[in-house]
This record gives sequence, structure tokens and C-alpha cells, in this order.
Amino acid sequence: MEKKAAALPSKFVDQLVVPGDVVLDLTTLANSTIKLGGGLRQECDTITAMKAGVLRFAKPNKYWVESSQKRYVPCAEDHVLGIVVDTKADNFLVDIKGPAIAFLPVLAFEGGTRRNIPKFEVGTLLYVRVVKANTGMNPELSCMDANGKASGFGILKDGYMFESSTGLSRMLLSSPTCPVLEILGKKLSFEIAVGLNGRVWVNGASPSSVILVANAIMNSETLSGAQQRIMVEKLLQRVQ
Amino acid sequence: MEQRLANTWRMSVNDKKFIESSLLSDLRVDGRRPFDYRKLSIKFGREDGSSEVQLGETHVMGFVTGQLVPPYRDRPNEGSLAIYTEFSPMADPSFEAGRPGENAVELGRIIDRGLRESRAIDTESLCILSGKLVWSIRVDLHILDNGGNLVDAANIAALAALLTFRRPECTLSGDDGQEVIVHSAEEREPLPLIVHHLPVAVTFAFFSNDNVVVIDPTHKEEAVMKGRLTATLNTNGDVCAIQKGGGIGVLQSVVLQCLRIASVKAADMTSKIKDAVESYNTVRAFRKVKRHSAPIAVSVDGSVAIKKQSQDGAQKIEL
Amino acid sequence: MEYVSPEGLRLDGRRPMEMRQIRAEVGAVSKADGSAVFEMGNTKVIAAVYGPREVQNRSQQLNDQALVRCEYTMSNFSTGDRMRRPKGDRRSTEISLVIRQTMEACILTHLMPRSQIDIFVQVLQADGGTRSACINAATLALADAGIPMSDLVTSCSAGYLNSTPLLDLNYVEDSAGGPDVTVGILPKLDKVTLLQMDAKLPIDTFENVMQLATEGCKAIANYIREVLQENTKQLESRRGT
Repeated sequence: MEKKAAALPSKFVDQLVVPGDVVLDLTTLANSTIKLGGGLRQECDTITAMKAGVLRFAKPNKYWVESSQKRYVPCAEDHVLGIVVDTKADNFLVDIKGPAIAFLPVLAFEGGTRRNIPKFEVGTLLYVRVVKANTGMNPELSCMDANGKASGFGILKDGYMFESSTGLSRMLLSSPTCPVLEILGKKLSFEIAVGLNGRVWVNGASPSSVILVANAIMNSETLSGAQQRIMVEKLLQRVQ
Repeated sequence: MEQRLANTWRMSVNDKKFIESSLLSDLRVDGRRPFDYRKLSIKFGREDGSSEVQLGETHVMGFVTGQLVPPYRDRPNEGSLAIYTEFSPMADPSFEAGRPGENAVELGRIIDRGLRESRAIDTESLCILSGKLVWSIRVDLHILDNGGNLVDAANIAALAALLTFRRPECTLSGDDGQEVIVHSAEEREPLPLIVHHLPVAVTFAFFSNDNVVVIDPTHKEEAVMKGRLTATLNTNGDVCAIQKGGGIGVLQSVVLQCLRIASVKAADMTSKIKDAVESYNTVRAFRKVKRHSAPIAVSVDGSVAIKKQSQDGAQKIEL
Repeated sequence: MEYVSPEGLRLDGRRPMEMRQIRAEVGAVSKADGSAVFEMGNTKVIAAVYGPREVQNRSQQLNDQALVRCEYTMSNFSTGDRMRRPKGDRRSTEISLVIRQTMEACILTHLMPRSQIDIFVQVLQADGGTRSACINAATLALADAGIPMSDLVTSCSAGYLNSTPLLDLNYVEDSAGGPDVTVGILPKLDKVTLLQMDAKLPIDTFENVMQLATEGCKAIANYIREVLQENTKQLESRRGT
């Protein structure tokens, strides 16, 4: 059974699919369980795509459609960049580019108690983790990892944040390190925080290097590895 | 309430601080220098009098149409020029559908003041029959994408569209000379508008620090800026309109310095617009030659096919 | 047409650099928190200020500063030909916006977050320079309402006819089709916050005309100061100290 499941979808795996494409026919793979990720939907006996993108398959039985959007659909355990919109008694209201405002409980900080609630002004930039993302509920965020440690989450001070697409964020987070970051890292020193919601924050010693990094990253979205290298070299030359 | 919070575009304090602090060292977040314009591209539609302007991420479409109407009572010998703006919610979530908002009105008024009150378009030549019939020229400006500095982009779109607009020629006939004949494009070559000069709008943004001035602000810079000044100038060094509607105060010397910079930039823009119009006119003339030499090719194209019937008349002019 | 006679007098007998008679009165509307009437010659404007008060439309509330709103209306009887004016036409929408932004420049809005300040200005008689008169009236009304401001904004217009810069145009001069420069300044800081101009004018001439209008603004600022001082003195005496 397992073999069949792996063999059949090969027609579509790593191929472009558009909404409505029948990706899998369940009747041909009786008894096998498969896991569906984003962009796929079960319709009676078939699995159809509902987003345009590349169909990915991971062993043993995971399928999902990989695409790039400006919009973000919250998903548990994603690391995102959020902007504080308002403060309520129990929660900070945080915009994470999703369809609904996310809640960040005021106690969801390392060692957080009623006595040491942080004060965030409206517009503060936070690096947070999505804890719950259920439909019909506002997503819940946390500034701790699963073990209750801060591990980098929390407020991002200074620097520059820009918005791009979720695809670019994934590219920046992929390993091995994507070419833009690799070359930039060799030439300049800077800090970067990438949120899966398409927000990227960059900070560096001088404003000029921050601007360079930000623009290089924004330009790199549609470029191949080699093109990225050339683009970054050009930008670096222009500055120096 | 929460719905509202989720639907507005917002900026982080980090960005605000960063944009302001990097401007202190003459750096802008998109890598430009303070007095650089973004990349400008002017395109034209297939029909006369339509233009599409892209200034960085800002995208504006201009469309000019003419109509024969009775003139205003106080100006029986003049045609009229009206500017209409359309801020579609498509361009920016903050634009609301329906009635034009304050910003749309202000934009329309700035362009209107620059073009009309400086008499850039000769309205007297638009009169057909004194007191009875004049051409009313309408400029529609549609904002398709808001990347900041809509005024300059919309102004260029309006100019480009006006420069390529052609109105049908009209002649008077009848016993008393009161009958108006509107000639079709095939009979007589349509006439361009008489444009005396090109008023080009140049927008400056002021920030909370006194000495920081930038030209052509982007959407993000507009969110941070504390004041704005739009100066409309032509290549003769005339100021045609200025709009600084409140906002942070600036020294008089800064205003005058801005005007001088604007006059240089206006000359720059004028040549760009003229080049684009020039190449459009060449293409247009070329297209017409083709239309007659290859009638089969024409019939494929829907927009020209209708005009085929009177080809004989048109050919006469060609020769 | 001749707007400046060979003797150097204008149609209404003024010199080119002369302003019309100005008169201001504070506290003209009893219900309003602050109000004023401002006259420049035959131009007469009334302004009323309400606030800071609770924001009416919650969705417009700003968490870090006060919301300033402005409504400019022109009475039907204010001009020579009496006509029904549609509310919210393009001209009055623009003037409302300009007055609001100009007043916002001097009101210390960050001291009054989550509140709203309404400014209503109505033109009772229009004889040129209504925009300036409205701003002057609004400044007085705001001061009367005791709203914290960094400076008093004042405004004045100037034009250029018969190769002469003219201060404070009246209706006839305004409709001559010449350039019309309206300037609004923060007199203490000597900074320009409002600047509007139309029709054609070479840069150098513009500089002179703008300078003239700025001088006019300063003169008005002095007058407004006096009016406010007088008003404060009266209030003091009423309190009986």
C-alpha cells in the first residue's frame, strides 16, 4: 500500500498545480492514510488542490501545496513578526497580517507574572510564536518557546521591518542558507528576524547597511541563486 | 472594532524611527538620495488621450474625453476643462468606495489649479459656436496602485493624456453658419489640443526634523512625514500652483529652496513626458500608414475595423 | 482693467501694501466651548470649537493623539448672487481639509489622546480672502476654548496685479484671474505651515508676494494677540481679582 501511495502522485509531486486539479484519487490507494497540508482538500474520493503552487510530498505520506502569498494564514508553531495594535487587560492585540487580530496573553513571557507585565506602545514590533490557530477563534501567540524559555522571542528594537511574501520568508529560512543572505553575511554584519508571515526585520550598525540588506532581500524574490549573487555584488559596489 | 483593527495597514515604531533617523544621514529606505525621483514610465493606450503612468509602485491611469456642450454663461467663448479623480479601493485599503474622499478632492484640486488656472490648455480654441457650443474636456484620473506621491504621478498622467488627446474637427455650415458638422477621424485628421506650457507637479515631504526634505515620498515615507508641499512649475520658471495644506511649519527660505529644486526637476520631467509623447506620435503615424497599406491586417483588429467603411475618404488625406 | 490707479491706489482706495480693516470678537456662540467672529473688510467669518470631547465615531479614535475635524460652510447669502450651494462640494471639502491640517499643526494633539476637537467655520459674508479669515477665526476660537497650542496660526493672502504685489485681495481683485497666494504662518517660530497659490507667477516675483503675505500674517498675529489679551483681562476682572 505504502508503495502505491508513493508511486501514484509522482505525476504531480514537484509540479505546478492550480485550484481544482485532482491530485490524488483515493480509490486507488485503499487503506493507506495520508496527511494533507495547506492548499489541499478532500472531495469525496479525490484530493484536489485549492491553491496554485507546487505540490510537495514528504515521506512517508505528507502532501502540501507550496505557494507564495502576501496574505498569511496563521498556523500553530509558526514564528512570525507582529505589530502591537492595542493593549487589553489580559491580552495584547497583535497584527500578524492574518485574517484576524492575534491575541498575545500578557503572561506569555518568560517568567511572566501579573506583577511584571511588559508595557508595549502601539506599533511595537514583536517576534512571536503562534500557539493556537483554530478556525473561528483569534490566533493565540506566545513570547516563549515550548519549554517556557524566551529563546529570542519578544520585542525587536530599532532596525527596519519590511513586508514581502510568505514565499520569500521561507526562502530566507531555508537551509542551506540562501545565496543572498550568504553573500551579505560575508560582507556585512547585520541581524535579521524572518517571520513566516512575510515580515522581515533587519538591523545593523549603520543605516546604509540596513537599507542595502533590506533592498537586496526584496530584490532577490524572483531571482535565481546566481542572479542573486550578481545583484548583491552590484549593490555592494554601488555603496562602496 | 477588532475587524477594523485587522483591516488597516499599519506601521511599526521601528520603521518610523528608522526612516527618520536614516534621513538625517541623507539615506532613504529604497536606496534613493533625497532629491531623486523613482523610476518613471509613461505608456499610452491604443486610443488617443489615454495614458498610464508608473512612478515606482504608484500607478495612475489618465483618460481624456471631449464632449460638445453649451458653454458657461459667464464665459461664452471658452471651452471647459474638468478633472475627475477616482480613488478605487483596489489601490489602497484606506480608500473607500463611493463618494470621493478628502484626499481625492485635494488631489483633483491641486491638478486642477495647476492646469486650469495657469491656462495651460487653450480653452478659447475649444469654442465652436460662441454662446452655443463648446468642447468640454474631461480628464479622468484613476489611481490603480498607491505607492505614495499620487499627486505627481496623476499630474503626469493628466499631461500625457492631454498631449495625446485628439478631438474631431468641426466646421460650421448652413445658411446662417449655425450648423455644426463634426468630421469623423477618417474624413479629417482630428485636432490636438493647444497646450501652452506643461505645469509639472513636484512634491516634497517634510519630517519632524527641520532640515530634512525629500522629493517624491513613497507610501511609507508619507506615513511618517509631517508635512507636504506640492509645487507645480513649468519650464519657463513660472510657478503655476503651490499647495501646502497645513502640516509642520517650514522656514520661508526652505520653501524657496524647494521651488528652485522643483524647477530643475520639472524641466527633467517635461523632457521625459515630451519624449514619451513624441514616440507615441511616431508610432501613431506609423500605425496609420499600415492601416491603409494592409487592409487585411486591419480587419483582424477590432478597434479599427469599424472605421473601414470610409477608407476612401481617409486615403485622400493620406495622399 | 486697472486695479492700481496711477496714483497708487486700489479700487477700494487702499494702498498696495495696505490691509483691510480687521476686527475680531471672541465668544460669539454661547453653546460652543470656544468661538470667534473675524472680519477682514467685508469678509466676515464665524468659527466655533467643540472639544476636546469623547470621539463620536469610535472607529476614528486615535490612541496617541486627538482627532481634529473641521467643517467649512459658506452661507447661501454670503455672496453677491444668492444661490443654493450643495453641501460638500469640492471647494469646501478642500478648504475644510486645509483648515484642519493647518490647525493640527499648532494644536498639541498628543496631549489629548482618544478625544475629538470639532471646528466649525461659516462664512457669513464673502469678499475675498475667506480662507485666511477662516483660519484666523479658527485660531481665535481654539484659543478661546483653551485648547493647548504651540503657537497662534494666522493667515493672510496677497496677489499680483498690474505688476504690483497687493496685500489682502478683495473679491473684485481676487476674481481678476491673477495669482493669489494664501500664506499661513506660525508667527513665533516664523515658519510657513499653509501655502497655496494658483495662476502663473515667476519664482522671483513669487518670493516678493509671499514675503508680503507673510508680513500681513504677522500684522494679524499682533492684532489677534491684542484681542486675546484684552479678552483675558476682562475674564480676570470678572473673576474679581
